[in-house]
Amino acid sequence: MATAPLRCAMLALNSPGYRSLALGYLRAYAQSDRRLAGRVAFETLDLDTDVDPWWVAWRVLGLEPDVLAVSVTCWNARAVYEVCRIVASVRPECAIVLGGPEVGPAAAEVLAAHSEVGVIVRGEGELTFADLLAELAGGGKAWRVDGITLRRSGEIVATPDRALVANLDDLPSPYLTGVLTPVDGGAYLETYRGCPHRCAYCFEGKGYGRIRSFSDERIAAEIDFVAAAPGVSTFSFIDPVFNLTGERLRMLAARMAPHVARGVRLHTIEVDIERIDPEAAAVLRSAGVASVETGPQTIGAGALEACHRPFNAERFVAGVAALRQTGISCECDLIVGLPGDDAYDFLAGLRFVLALDPGKIQSSTLHVLPGTELWERAAELGLEFDREPPHEVIATPGIGFRDLRRAEVLASSLQTAYRARI
Amino acid sequence: MIRFADILVGNGGQVRCSRCHGEPQPASYRPAEEIAREISMACALWDGMPGPNILLTGAEPFGHPELPALVAAATDAHCRRLCLDTDALALRSPQNAGGSLMAGVRHLRWTILGGTPGVHDALYGEPGALDASVEGIRSFASIASDEALSISVTAVVPVCRHNAHDLPAAAGLAVDAGVDRILLHVEDGGLDLASALPWMSAACDTGVVNGVWVEVEGVPFCLLPGYDLHVADAVRERPGAKTPLCATCALDRVCAGAPAGASADQLATLSPPPFAARLAVSVSRARGVDA
Repeated sequence: MATAPLRCAMLALNSPGYRSLALGYLRAYAQSDRRLAGRVAFETLDLDTDVDPWWVAWRVLGLEPDVLAVSVTCWNARAVYEVCRIVASVRPECAIVLGGPEVGPAAAEVLAAHSEVGVIVRGEGELTFADLLAELAGGGKAWRVDGITLRRSGEIVATPDRALVANLDDLPSPYLTGVLTPVDGGAYLETYRGCPHRCAYCFEGKGYGRIRSFSDERIAAEIDFVAAAPGVSTFSFIDPVFNLTGERLRMLAARMAPHVARGVRLHTIEVDIERIDPEAAAVLRSAGVASVETGPQTIGAGALEACHRPFNAERFVAGVAALRQTGISCECDLIVGLPGDDAYDFLAGLRFVLALDPGKIQSSTLHVLPGTELWERAAELGLEFDREPPHEVIATPGIGFRDLRRAEVLASSLQTAYRARI
Repeated sequence: MIRFADILVGNGGQVRCSRCHGEPQPASYRPAEEIAREISMACALWDGMPGPNILLTGAEPFGHPELPALVAAATDAHCRRLCLDTDALALRSPQNAGGSLMAGVRHLRWTILGGTPGVHDALYGEPGALDASVEGIRSFASIASDEALSISVTAVVPVCRHNAHDLPAAAGLAVDAGVDRILLHVEDGGLDLASALPWMSAACDTGVVNGVWVEVEGVPFCLLPGYDLHVADAVRERPGAKTPLCATCALDRVCAGAPAGASADQLATLSPPPFAARLAVSVSRARGVDA
């Protein structure tokens, strides 16, 4: 008699309008794994963060899953934990597996705090998750899987770290396999993993240490597929730095060109603004880039040093000016509460970006994220922050609790006034 | 931080404390052509970013018979932000609110004298004025929301001895009306700042806990210890200033300042000398209005 397949529900709580690329990768890889063929049945629930956790649990439980796998970020973590508690209460036999930047770097801590969670996948998840499913489907031993932290005999145990995927092309494309359907404005492509920068507050590089790229052919195939998808007129790239090199930028622009001619545009891509001159701006334009997002995050010397941020004001100004001349809207981001900054440094940053008239100014409060240098060095730097997600900073040696809140409100008011224009 | 060039559309008739300034004088207006020329010149000569930004002030702009032409002059001159200094009464009419929005008005400076009719209406001299003006602001905001237009409304409270006690209520009312910024502008040279400061602090707190920024004009840093970020100079003019709070201050030339390195607690014990209040007002006036 054939055994019923393992029912695996994959859940993400996304910003409204978006779909989880991470779940897409996990599922595309697992579905391609011959060990799992016919033994695991997948169902993805891509829901918005504004859905009440009890209704999320309702949807999950309706699938009667044997495994619930959830992608966790600092933004959705509180809701995810609530969903997991409800699901575990109703369906205790369901194995709850979490992964993502919020839980991977703090796996033991999360397991200790959330008894309903059984396994945490650390780091890059595709291979680990597939191995884990293979063990669970075969009634095997999860502790044999590298790259996870789990409970074993009442203890929290971490298995050895897993090596990074050597060739990213080994990971099937979520789009080309049909796992993810591109939606207008909400589709993202990833052309490489890792980040050239080492900003102390950021987990964009995810500890990968080096940059690994998908092949040009794979990137081209994904661009062509997404850009030509019905109803898609805008999409974006999730790469930490779109203009990683001039050569790469020109390659992407050339690939985008026929789609740009049809009116397809790229929105909110992240760029290293200090490397944008009029020529690079023109290439971005030819790639269909309508808007970019960039720093400076801060202009305070102390914070720049503490966070290992390079900043050259002249080149930054020139970069924004080049984009403005090309008609590309630029969003300048600032962070309040960085170590080394005080309230007046933040105000100076606001004045700096305002004087550039970049198009959009976005200020956010520092989040001390798991896995980042600031998370590790919080005590040494005197950072008081909320241990609960989203880990917002509470006070620093340079700016107290009340002035932090004031700076947030001031910045919000300024953004409103800046945005209100003809 | 966002500067506006003040263009006078006329004189008189604005919301002011009748006990300080006497009975309101009827507004008189300048010719539209003259104003339009000034708008055009201000935009052409604009030398900073972001901008150009124009504030139509001096008299109630909705009283100007050719306001649409003035707004058109601003948009023709590529004005980025057009602000009206208004009592908002005319905005109760959806035609006025919608018409000004469609024409390009995105910013309002809305003057209130208090947060309760008992203060505002009494000082303004017109029963029902406060409720009517709140209605105008809500009408403007509602239409902007329907049209998906980004707007910014600053509630300006001219602070004097007759309304200082009502500042927290004024902040609460402004928050409730939907403004995104409140400006407390000290304009009374005879105001006892020492007794008014607690009300200003409370108004700042009322705004902040409701997510609305409150800025204070006409008070030196040293008089608002712990609230120095709210002082307009901190936001607009101090390039990366650090403690001590009065390291760079508009009053530097005449004031010895607080002891270097003084803590906020120590600063709080300083008794403001009588001249400080008068000086603060004159400095504020000399600096001019900055929306």
